[in-house]
Amino acid sequence: MECGVLLNMRRALQLFILLCLASQACAASHTLVLVVRADSKVSDLDSLTVRKLFLGLPVLVEGGLLHPVRNRSDAELDPIFLQQIVAMSQSAYDRQILIGVNRQGWLRPAEVSTVSRVLDILYDDPNAVTFMWLHEVAHNPRVRVIRVLWSD
Amino acid sequence: MERLINTLRRRLMSVVLVIHAALVPLLYLGVTAIVTDGYAELFVNPARSYSQLAADELERGAPDDFERHAAELLDSVLLTGQVVFAEIIDGNRRIHSSLPSPIAPANPPDDFQFGAHGDEVYYISHTIKRPDRSVVLRLGFDESPTLEQIRAAKRRVLMAVLVFTAASIAVALWLSAIIARPMVRLQEAAKRVSGGDFRVQLTTRSSIREVQELNHHLEHMRQKLVGTNERLEREMQEREVSEAKRLDLERRLLHRERIATIGTLAGGIAHEFNNIMTPILLYSQVALQDAPPGSALATDLTRIVSAAHRARSLVNGILTFSREMDLQQAAVFALRPIIAEALTLLRAIVPANIEITFEADPEDIPVVGDPSLLHQAVINLCTNAYQAMSPSDGRIAVKLSAVRNPPKSQLPPGHYVLLEVNDTGHGMDESVLAHIFDPFFTTRDVGEGTGLGLSIFHGIITSMGGVITVESAVGSGTMVQIYLPAAAGRAEQDILSAGGAA
Repeated sequence: MECGVLLNMRRALQLFILLCLASQACAASHTLVLVVRADSKVSDLDSLTVRKLFLGLPVLVEGGLLHPVRNRSDAELDPIFLQQIVAMSQSAYDRQILIGVNRQGWLRPAEVSTVSRVLDILYDDPNAVTFMWLHEVAHNPRVRVIRVLWSD
Repeated sequence: MERLINTLRRRLMSVVLVIHAALVPLLYLGVTAIVTDGYAELFVNPARSYSQLAADELERGAPDDFERHAAELLDSVLLTGQVVFAEIIDGNRRIHSSLPSPIAPANPPDDFQFGAHGDEVYYISHTIKRPDRSVVLRLGFDESPTLEQIRAAKRRVLMAVLVFTAASIAVALWLSAIIARPMVRLQEAAKRVSGGDFRVQLTTRSSIREVQELNHHLEHMRQKLVGTNERLEREMQEREVSEAKRLDLERRLLHRERIATIGTLAGGIAHEFNNIMTPILLYSQVALQDAPPGSALATDLTRIVSAAHRARSLVNGILTFSREMDLQQAAVFALRPIIAEALTLLRAIVPANIEITFEADPEDIPVVGDPSLLHQAVINLCTNAYQAMSPSDGRIAVKLSAVRNPPKSQLPPGHYVLLEVNDTGHGMDESVLAHIFDPFFTTRDVGEGTGLGLSIFHGIITSMGGVITVESAVGSGTMVQIYLPAAAGRAEQDILSAGGAA
């Protein structure tokens, strides 16, 4: 009885959080896209390569090492990133990153907490790859969408 | 006592219960959160990996026969058993597996948290970009086994928490009893001590060091209190005894001074009277020799001589009381024959219906003094006794015994001879008792007594170093006790001194 009550309360809380997130998403475009600088040599990346990239594995495109940037400007981005891009939980992702950094010598993906900072990095680095909401970059000529990662 | 037990135990139990009431729910929530997160982690990671693999497989599949490849992929994912829903959305077309699967909502939202939406299905959708089209793969993983595992784990955690709480309360009860019991015993003993029962020892068994030290200190205080109390009681008793001795000595001193004053006065008068009587007796005897025998003159002179002899006897009695009469040489003599002879003489003058008994110890302890005076003293005392009785009947009991260290405060320790004379007369009240040794004090009618009998008796006993105690009450008779120091306990010099002083 008590377990059921707690579970229902927890579900209600989660539903409330998701509704809040959903309301924010409704205000946005509900579409997460992979973006690079407009003049980047990166034209397309499949899902496996994207996962490699954000797990810290070195990915070369035309001799250039791509630099993944994890966009954490929106709280809703984290679960989508974990589920759609790296396909694991936060703790598993952290373990994977630690293993890659400490054992393999891979680079830890950069983490940025503001949209403006994400855009600055994109503007400065042609090899930078990140993900953003579509409505944030739809009319920005300095960045280019190379893949739709998730859409509701 | 019961109140203390309840208070102490309640206080301890209240603390334990408050701590548990605050911490046990936190413990339960924390453990269940960890358990839930652990199971969610175990569910979410494989689901995400598997869905990603399926998406990769669909994305990299052969481009020429997408329909068949998609159907086979949906069949394969459904055959794993964990996936309960699988579809591919190609524009406005939905591709489902040929295998039967539960009916799912048309556009279920993606689940990014385990257990979200309450439908017990974890939906994951992947946007797949193929060269010829872009499709969405949506998979639904069954959450119910994991949810059941979580519920079972929570039940186990709840049981463990309840058992832990029950055990904690039991241990708290036990500990509170261990702590409270010695405290209650100490309190009970302290209450008895405060009530005046100082013999109660403050002892209690406890393995708690603080309680042991408290017990030790309280017992030390009690012992000090007991010692102080006993000392104060002893001092009070000693003071009471000292006060009684002082009052008795004062009373005896006053009596002695009064007797001495009377004796000095009486002795002076007796001396002068004796000097006056000497020529009267001498010349009357000379005149009696010259007077013709049988004449009226001889008869008158004889009466004068007789009266002079009685006057001299009276003077001798007064001198004996005042101790100024020349005593005979002090001698060591046994009391029993003297008393027996005096009682034999007394028997002749006492009426027959008055019983006289004499009881003496076999050991006849000698005393120092003048036996003839002692003889007279016994006669005087017993005469006074039978005169106090009714003529019809009565009893005079004389008892002679040896006493060592008599219980009389005015006597020094040593060997004594106790002469007791009990009579069944009418007794005396306090006012009479205070003057019985005064010269010329008498309760008899004028002309019937001189009032010198007991005065002479007192003078004789005192001259022998003895002590007299009299106990009497009206209607209950009188008991006279005479303590005479035994001759064996007196040095020769003392004997001579006593004789010279007498």
